[in-house]
Amino acid sequence: MPDHGSAASPSSGDLARRSLLRFAVAGPVLGALPAFAQSAPKRGGRLTIGADADPIGLDPTTLAAFSSYDFTALLYSGLLRWNADMKVEPDLATCFEQPNDTTYVFKLRSGVKFHNGQVFDAEDVKYTFDRIRDPATASPNAAIFASIKAVTVIDPLTVRFELTAPNAAFLSYIATNPIGVIVPRGVADLNTKPVGTGPFIFESYQPNQVFTLKANPAYYEQGLPYLGEVAFRFFKDQASLTSALRSKAIDMTWFKDPKVSAQIVRTSPDLVSAPGKTTRTFPVWMNLKSGPLADVRVRRALSLATDRKACLETVLGGSGKVAAMVPESHVGGYDGVGEMPYYKTDIAAAKKLLAEAGHPGGIDLGDYICVAANPLDVACAQILQQQWAEAGIKVAIKPMETAPLITMWVKGEFPTLLSIALSWSPDPDAILSRIISTSASGKALGMADTQLDSMIIDARTLLDRTKRAAAYLDIQRRINDQAYVLDIYQYPLRWEAWWNYAKGYVPLAANIRTFVRTTWIDK
Amino acid sequence: MIRMVATRLALTLPILLGVSIVAFVLMRTLPGDFVQASAGTTAVSEEVLQTARHNLGLDRPLWRQYATWIGGAVTGDLGTSFATHRPVVGEIFPRLAVTGELTLIAGLMAMTLGVATGLASARLRGTTDWVVRGFNSLLLAVPNFVIATLIVLLFGLYFPEVGIFNYVAFATDPRGNLASLLLPGISLALTVSVTISENTRAAVLEVASQDYVMVARAKGLRSSTVLLHYLVRNALTPVITVTGLQLAALLGGSILIETIFTIPGMGQYLFDSISNRDYPAIQAIVLVAATIVLLMNVVVDIAYARVDARVSYE
Repeated sequence: MPDHGSAASPSSGDLARRSLLRFAVAGPVLGALPAFAQSAPKRGGRLTIGADADPIGLDPTTLAAFSSYDFTALLYSGLLRWNADMKVEPDLATCFEQPNDTTYVFKLRSGVKFHNGQVFDAEDVKYTFDRIRDPATASPNAAIFASIKAVTVIDPLTVRFELTAPNAAFLSYIATNPIGVIVPRGVADLNTKPVGTGPFIFESYQPNQVFTLKANPAYYEQGLPYLGEVAFRFFKDQASLTSALRSKAIDMTWFKDPKVSAQIVRTSPDLVSAPGKTTRTFPVWMNLKSGPLADVRVRRALSLATDRKACLETVLGGSGKVAAMVPESHVGGYDGVGEMPYYKTDIAAAKKLLAEAGHPGGIDLGDYICVAANPLDVACAQILQQQWAEAGIKVAIKPMETAPLITMWVKGEFPTLLSIALSWSPDPDAILSRIISTSASGKALGMADTQLDSMIIDARTLLDRTKRAAAYLDIQRRINDQAYVLDIYQYPLRWEAWWNYAKGYVPLAANIRTFVRTTWIDK
Repeated sequence: MIRMVATRLALTLPILLGVSIVAFVLMRTLPGDFVQASAGTTAVSEEVLQTARHNLGLDRPLWRQYATWIGGAVTGDLGTSFATHRPVVGEIFPRLAVTGELTLIAGLMAMTLGVATGLASARLRGTTDWVVRGFNSLLLAVPNFVIATLIVLLFGLYFPEVGIFNYVAFATDPRGNLASLLLPGISLALTVSVTISENTRAAVLEVASQDYVMVARAKGLRSSTVLLHYLVRNALTPVITVTGLQLAALLGGSILIETIFTIPGMGQYLFDSISNRDYPAIQAIVLVAATIVLLMNVVVDIAYARVDARVSYE
């Protein structure tokens, strides 16, 4: 199995501030690629990817569904992007400078064209971000870029962003496809006829069946992409997806279950699987507004009764880590072994806390709601049910359809406990702002910790990476001390697998397939 | 006859209207909506969600949403899918054709298998009867999606050279198309064939004990004549009823089978649309499916009259 050269290195934010950052506008970023990729790439050919979900919309400004990211990643590009080590690098920008903590000036690539032939310039950047911030657009990214005060065109190849306050997450968002990608000004119907600057051009889409793209001959990275065509085929059933990969009906796919991935890769030495970094967490959300969980002692008892390691071993076969709020691949992410309050399993202490809280004979917490469509979630819920029972805490597992579960969770309309794994997010702030007591989601959960609120808000403004990491660890300790959310384990969003004749591909921790642009087929 | 068909067809209209109202109200009373479901776990502010709902017209009173939709439906406009932003009509009819073909293939397989095993079981009795009935009990206990999953895993893992996901449109490659529907057809047909087989067996046994069959035998008719003209023909009425009813089961079964074999039919479309809460698509599919089932019932009634001389609609 090839080494992907992406050793556990932390994410973005290494960019020194207030300095002019100049990056070589290289053609293919072969330097970042593993050694095997450097044999002469072959041109043309078609890569077929097995996808587990259809896109919901293709206009990057109005979509929020993770299932669309796979397609926008190839169609569009932004000012910055993530490299294989999950560091931010320039893309449509050639460099940027930061004259002060709240101002960013981007220099743009010249000669870039959109798929419709329109020339890309600073006006498109301004148009994109103004469109995101216009309430009439209903962009889910509006809140993310709410800190932008103004986007000003200085000249066709220079654009200035002014923020209301220092925001350490800003560059991470700008680098994330599709959140920060640029759309052409004045082009309508991007949802059905997407037009971007990305390495591939939209060709056709038959829902539930196939989505095809062809190489963009005018793509700005010299020599890229190698592939002539990319096709996504949709398989909603995991068994079908497995069989399709095995029978080479598809060249590449990803799995939600590490055990399935390990099993399929064992069937042939020619299958490559990516180890995957931990990018998401599996939390148990608690209704803090009323009922037994409003009492911190009951919540701490629940945490003490939990054996996180056992969940990890049983559900994921060990491919993951114990979790706190922030996954390890983020700044200040929890490494799974460090000290966290109430993390050491202690049934006796849990029972004692319960007794103090007035439940000496144990407690019945009622329904524990989880996502029926995710077998990993249900399996973990069952193990937690057994573990908690030992401490006298009873729950009834109630697997539910995803759509109503999300509504329940967002509105805080669940009785006591609910689990939904968080998808990948570009920055720890995206995870933590969720529990700020003044936010809608924080209110829904019943958060009311003003000290924690200011800790989260302050951490946003820390542009120094080390300080920021320390701040996030403090925040996570406080969350676990008060047991506001019970995080169980962290794991990769997807486990990727492909046949070794597809070369030059690098999986990203974010599970966004931008490296299809450097992939070629050598059958 | 013509008057009967006309009356029956006229009666389907109020039923369809009722179905459309039920489908409309039922989907909207289900918790979870498209806007929230598509945002997933991404934190999206309530204002943005509200604007998105407004853009889709979901903030209007229910009766107005329904009036707009049914008004469009009558003129052949089934609305625009929330997920694909494309008209539902363009999506649903090609898919209907695919599901229709799959159902037809599965129906023919189930009929052939069911009638053959039922007849064999009733006429030969003894070991054949036991084998058939044992086989039937087993199939009845195993749902079709389990059979489909087992087929997919068997061929995917052990015979990867047999392409099981190579669906091609009939127009592009008729032979490839039929080949690609063979395995899905079998997994769909097996469970349904049990009902047909058991009903055929029961009907044939019952008819066989009738006086007129004994008379036919007694007057020395050849056993093949007795079988074809006396037994099968008279046993056919209940079998046709069952087969007609099973067509609805086949349509329902195709939801999972199409999802497992990734066949771009109505079933897969419905499955996805429900998960996404894509109301226009769900409403259109329900309306079209209800129309088909109602029409099938009319056809079954006509078939009775053709087969059973006692039934007359004049």
